[in-house]
Amino acid sequence: MGDTVLEVRDLVKRFGSLIALDGVNLDIHAGEIFALLGPNGAGKTTLISTVCGLARKTSGTLKLFGIDLDVDPVTPRYQVGLVPQEINFDPFFTVAESLYIQLGFYGKRKDPARVTEVLAALSLESKAGSLTRALSGGMKRRLLIAKALVHRPRLVFLDEPTAGVDVELRRDLWAYVRKLQTAGTTIILTTHYLEEAEELADRVGIINDGKVLLVEEKNALIRRLGEKKLQIRFRSKVTALSEKLRGAGAILAEDGHRMDYVERPGRPSIGEILRLVYAEQLPVEDIETRRARLEDVLLMVLRGRPRLEAPASLDEAIPVAAGALDVAFRDK
Amino acid sequence: MESAARPGLNVIGMRTLLAKEVRRFLRVPGQTVLSPLVSTILYFLVFGYSLGGRVHQVAGIPYISFIVPGLVFLGMANNSFLNTSSSLFITKIQGTVVDLLAAPLGPAEILFGFIGGGMVRGLTVGLLTWAAAALFTGFKLTHALPTLGFLIVVTYVFSVLGFLAALWAEKFEQINFFPTFVMLPLTFLGGIFYSVSSLPEPWHTVSLFNPMVYMVEGLRYGMLGASSLSPAVGGTILVVVALVATGVAFAALRTGYKLKS
Repeated sequence: MGDTVLEVRDLVKRFGSLIALDGVNLDIHAGEIFALLGPNGAGKTTLISTVCGLARKTSGTLKLFGIDLDVDPVTPRYQVGLVPQEINFDPFFTVAESLYIQLGFYGKRKDPARVTEVLAALSLESKAGSLTRALSGGMKRRLLIAKALVHRPRLVFLDEPTAGVDVELRRDLWAYVRKLQTAGTTIILTTHYLEEAEELADRVGIINDGKVLLVEEKNALIRRLGEKKLQIRFRSKVTALSEKLRGAGAILAEDGHRMDYVERPGRPSIGEILRLVYAEQLPVEDIETRRARLEDVLLMVLRGRPRLEAPASLDEAIPVAAGALDVAFRDK
Repeated sequence: MESAARPGLNVIGMRTLLAKEVRRFLRVPGQTVLSPLVSTILYFLVFGYSLGGRVHQVAGIPYISFIVPGLVFLGMANNSFLNTSSSLFITKIQGTVVDLLAAPLGPAEILFGFIGGGMVRGLTVGLLTWAAAALFTGFKLTHALPTLGFLIVVTYVFSVLGFLAALWAEKFEQINFFPTFVMLPLTFLGGIFYSVSSLPEPWHTVSLFNPMVYMVEGLRYGMLGASSLSPAVGGTILVVVALVATGVAFAALRTGYKLKS
């Protein structure tokens, strides 16, 4: 990863007695796509608003491109683009005019080629001359993105950028975001579509109640906390599982026609379990696995569930009490 | 494309905001220029010809000519105020204020961008009113420089006041409070249709606490060469008012008063 483009230190934001940000620390590196995840009211938008100058911080330090915003709140903003969560538009102006105005605000002169390029990237070129109030909701959302990108910022905040955007266009936008990253742009993303974060993010931060609970490289996080689920259907009723399978954490359904297993760090792999199942000649009819998703990890972190300890291999297998997650899985 | 990352005043940003403000009111000229022009001309015709038939002259000036500076002032004051107040308030309500706050625009760029737009609209309406009145009374300009000075200060002061009103207001009702309950009484009691020197005491002295009086009298001095008050004193008072209002607006923008959560 490159240099740090955003440094957040001990950031606190209070709204009266409500603590919206509670000592947030965060570093964003140049060129990465960072997904900030959390439930509604967790503090995602407040954090972005505070960095982007829409909200006043209560205490703490914010540095953009190494510049302390308390010392110079304006200069770093030339390099920042923001897609706000709420749709806004100025009804007096056309789509193209809105982009020219945005270019001007960022100290750049009229650049028709750049405006055309951004409009084309967001499938808005046919609407260049339309008044913004005539756009559909999805088009207005795309215009917000165009406005955030037209001045070629080095750091872009995308606060729920694809809310209300149809699936096809969402995929196009993802491709465009990746293209921006390839060109060196750093992107900070909040989204309710966890598929979006999973698709795009290099690193993930999970925030709740104004506190950053975790910041980690996405794939490493999924590997570390994520679970892989195995479900085996039996042709005929199995009365009981072997000591080794039970010890590894496999659970037999009450009707004896299904076995569930959750692979997680510290437990035998699904491959090892399958080898054991076949070695024991259980009457396998169908096998289904589901890989770990970011959504599962997010829920696990937000619920603060304990990581269940289990033997590292079948040889060390000892009976392990089924934990909350196992129970939840079995009940599905 | 011009490189942008540089400290100091964002001149292009400020110019863009000013141009945006001007384009905004020119998009609806019937509402922003023509309508106030018609209203002011109606004042001129009704008051000038009906009252003028009985009053004839004030301070040696035909009544129909005497009220022209006041009506020019009225058009400028209302429209400068309305431009900044309505534009900033709508920007807040629509959420497009995000574009201003997230952009590299400091308090100076935002303030002077909005004020510039208000001044252009105020001057447009004021000068068109003056031109329309000249069709009836003939064009008269006695002191060009003081006239220009007062035109600028009047539009500037009311643009800043409109900006402050919009910063403060959270509801449409509040944004209408100033024009209806503050500006209207003060302008009508500001000597537009009469000379404050003709008022009996204590009303004459009370009138001197109304800054609108100095604006009207200043313009009257510049345009007609007659004034019951010293234009120098009036000009000084107005510059002080302008500086104080600018300082308050600047401080409000710096702290993000009612703009930043």
